[in-house]
Amino acid sequence: MASASSQQPIRTPRRPLRELMRRFYVPLMLAPVVITIGVLFVGALFVALLQSFGHAPLYGIQEFPTLKYYRSLFQLPGFWSSVALTFYYAIVPTIVGTILSVYLALALRKTFRGKGFVQFIYKLPLMIPYLVGVAVTIVLFGNGGIVARSLFALGIIDSTGDFPRLIYSHAGWGIMFVYVWKQVPFTTLIVYSVLMGLGRDSEEAAATLGASKWQTFWQVTLPQIMPGIVSATIIVFAFNFGSFEIPFILGGGFPNTLPVEAWRAFEDADYARRLRAMAIVMFIGLMSGAVLFLYLWTYRRFERARGRQ
Amino acid sequence: MHNIVGRFFTLLTLTVALLLGSAMAQPTGTPDAEAFRDAFLAGNLSWDDVLERAAEEGEVVWAHWGGSENLNTWIDTVVAPELAALGVTLRTSRLTNTRDAVDLVLAEAAADKGVGEGSIDGIWINGENFFTLSSQGLNFGSFADLVPNAQYIHFDPNNPASGPNLFDFGYPTNKEEMPWSGDQYMCAIDTARLDRADAPSNFEELEAWLRANPGRFTYVRPPQFNGNTFVQTVLYALNPDGTSFQPFQSSADEISPEEFIRLATPAYEYLQRIEPFLLGGGGADGQRGSPIYPEDQNALEALFVNGEIDMACRFGMYNTAVAVETGRFPETAENVIFPESGMIKNKNFIGVPVNAPNPAAAMVLANLLASPENQLSKLGAIGYVMGIDADLLSPEQQAQIDEVAPSLMGITYDELGAATVPDTNASLVGIIEGTWIEFVERRTGSLEEVVQRVYADR
Repeated sequence: MASASSQQPIRTPRRPLRELMRRFYVPLMLAPVVITIGVLFVGALFVALLQSFGHAPLYGIQEFPTLKYYRSLFQLPGFWSSVALTFYYAIVPTIVGTILSVYLALALRKTFRGKGFVQFIYKLPLMIPYLVGVAVTIVLFGNGGIVARSLFALGIIDSTGDFPRLIYSHAGWGIMFVYVWKQVPFTTLIVYSVLMGLGRDSEEAAATLGASKWQTFWQVTLPQIMPGIVSATIIVFAFNFGSFEIPFILGGGFPNTLPVEAWRAFEDADYARRLRAMAIVMFIGLMSGAVLFLYLWTYRRFERARGRQ
Repeated sequence: MHNIVGRFFTLLTLTVALLLGSAMAQPTGTPDAEAFRDAFLAGNLSWDDVLERAAEEGEVVWAHWGGSENLNTWIDTVVAPELAALGVTLRTSRLTNTRDAVDLVLAEAAADKGVGEGSIDGIWINGENFFTLSSQGLNFGSFADLVPNAQYIHFDPNNPASGPNLFDFGYPTNKEEMPWSGDQYMCAIDTARLDRADAPSNFEELEAWLRANPGRFTYVRPPQFNGNTFVQTVLYALNPDGTSFQPFQSSADEISPEEFIRLATPAYEYLQRIEPFLLGGGGADGQRGSPIYPEDQNALEALFVNGEIDMACRFGMYNTAVAVETGRFPETAENVIFPESGMIKNKNFIGVPVNAPNPAAAMVLANLLASPENQLSKLGAIGYVMGIDADLLSPEQQAQIDEVAPSLMGITYDELGAATVPDTNASLVGIIEGTWIEFVERRTGSLEEVVQRVYADR
């Protein structure tokens, strides 16, 4: 491309086809992505939206527009517990994971023996699917799992049933463990690359001016890595909030998280329940979107207060 | 995950159908395939004609539950080569839930894809799924007695032995599906942990045993069929009239909500009452912990094998024998007769949907799966009960059955035969599972309210 354009100056468009190509080059490049997202994502979302408002002639339902599927949703026993549970499983691992990641990223800046190995090993979960993490969690932390059996063999617990229920319970230790296991490497990677880009100049300057380590972290390092933390937490939270298979497999049954609840409604023998499923899906999108909007808005205010645009 | 992707595309197809605004009606197919269908169903074609056309079609798509490695291997090593010898390539679509295949047929039919134009030729099907297709008129036609191996199956309505072939969950099969396997609900215990003498044999004993050993039992979550079946057996056992399965043979139109409530109250109250004593249930009366109802039979067995529960019930007459042999179960695992009041037995079928893309090959597949050789091989290799009727086989073949059938692991055919009962009517399945979800799992109201609502939603 570069050599071709150097031989042919742009100001003499003798070849109309090439000129046309040039004009539509960007749209053409974008077309596959735009079409895929447009049809598969926006299209499906649009149909889901229509269905949630009562337009589903295929199931013999034509009540558009009606709010009854949303209204009945909000009156469903356990629905608000589902909402609370979904937030709980999404927020706690995001916070815990972020703290661990920042700590890990800071530690990785130091020079120590075996650093290369640690830098390799911490990224491993990134390459391993979530479902493997789920399987590992069951094998390790289930009541018939390795940990429970070891404790039983050592005589610490009387039966594997006495081992605290870490999976299949609403406390959700297993679910949150999988999120943290998978997401710490991701957040660490982002924070670490931001840290590398920053260099240590401003931190050293702060230290020269007499700032303690703690002051340097809170007032110099953290504000600088904040953009990295924000983008990582947005992705992580949005995933956790909409995640289906992990709470589906490791969850404690009814009340379920919202995505699992949507799945159950969709799976119901009664096709009309699918409209409720669509209402739940819309609600998930709305909640997740609202939270992320608030979060970004707060962050912008924070940045503006610091004088950054 | 494949499941989700598949579902997504089904939804997409449904979406397209929706945008086109077409209504559900008998879809029209290609003229050629329709001509074959009409001629075959009218009995105007010889089997050689069918074989010839099947070879021209060249392939057959079989959608079946793919959760058993033994079965998948058997299909690959026995069925696929036999079809290949007839010039038909077998393509399997392994499902986690038969409903996915039914959804696809519904979606395609809504898009007016008729015979010769769909994407599934044969579905391993029974019960509610067959009921769905049948009530929408989306079956290929009454073919089951027109294929050669129908000679091994009782279809004479005057012969009581035809019952399991002519009725699927109490719903008439109309010979629109071919019997290919049978099964019985069975409960396994691990005798290393639970003595045979201590194992419960009815629901009163189960409750007493659970109170003494809280958390040592659970059942699959309805609406999965293994869970529904457990609820059905409770309904039979605690039927206040003492008539067991009989009233549940009638359809939902024949049983009023009030009558259903009367019949089902003891059973559903029992299920609520034992919940605190199930795995994770909390262990004390009235408590609501996080009772663990596993998603399917595999999840249930994982709990059993891990030693979290002492008894596991699921469909699979020879499941325990096969599981012990393959090392999935400990060698101390055995079957028990539970509940004595009735262990549900049924058949399952090969259904052919209205829009089979390769209708002749579908007939060949259904016929081939019902051959005595393959039925015996299936029984021996994976322990699936024969779908064809043993008394119609030759004496040599009957002798072979006893030879190849896996062990019943601690119980006898006589005991089992005495406890055998049929399924409920297919139209009641949705009501039974809906009531469980609302009354036992979610506690959305009194049994009266719940049943009335479930009936109204039907």
